[in-house]
Amino acid sequence: MQPRRRFPASVFTHGDEPDARFSLANERTFLAWIRTGLALLAGGVALEALGLGIQPGLRLAASLILIGAGVLTPLQGWFGWVQTERALRMDTALPSARLALPLTLLVGTAGLLICIGILV
Amino acid sequence: MTVFDRGLQPERTALAWRRTALALLGASLVALRVLPHMMGVWGLGVGAAGAVASGVLLWLIHRRYIHHHQVLIQDGDRSALAGGYLIAATTLLCLSAGGVALAVTIMKAVAGGA
Repeated sequence: MQPRRRFPASVFTHGDEPDARFSLANERTFLAWIRTGLALLAGGVALEALGLGIQPGLRLAASLILIGAGVLTPLQGWFGWVQTERALRMDTALPSARLALPLTLLVGTAGLLICIGILV
Repeated sequence: MTVFDRGLQPERTALAWRRTALALLGASLVALRVLPHMMGVWGLGVGAAGAVASGVLLWLIHRRYIHHHQVLIQDGDRSALAGGYLIAATTLLCLSAGGVALAVTIMKAVAGGA
């Protein structure tokens, strides 16, 4: 029987079917990244939209940093899913979340800017 | 009702998808409420498009779960399980939301400063 061609080929043309539970866990990880991204976007927009008592320049900078992080997060989700699914099929080591550290630093920086913006 | 996995992973995954779709729906409805003030008819379009996309996603999620459940319960050919289309589509949806968020924030900042 002709196996179904699945997207993306870079994942599904290699290796064997992994335990379905691992693929499902991989999906849930991706979805967690997506929800994190949406939360960061919501935070960034709300920061600027609500016009709280924060120094405007710092507030805008923090808002843009959060939105930037919110755009990077789905990318980590997608590439993480692709690399992990491929590793599961090839029975090789799972990748690490390469954008996790940059994202942490971005969110931390945004928080710092907000703190300073409140105090000045 | 039989389950494939005592840990209920297919069910947990379906719920994770639903949580995500509902988050997108919530964001779209807020956009529908708030954006028309700032962007006029474009704001309406963006919010409505997001709401429709979320609805479509919820329906696709339902079908995805039913399909997975049937394949796994019957210990069927696992290559029949879903591939990455929905995942790629969700990524694009989220990136679009990012674009909207960026546009809104810059517009608000410019309007506030002007």
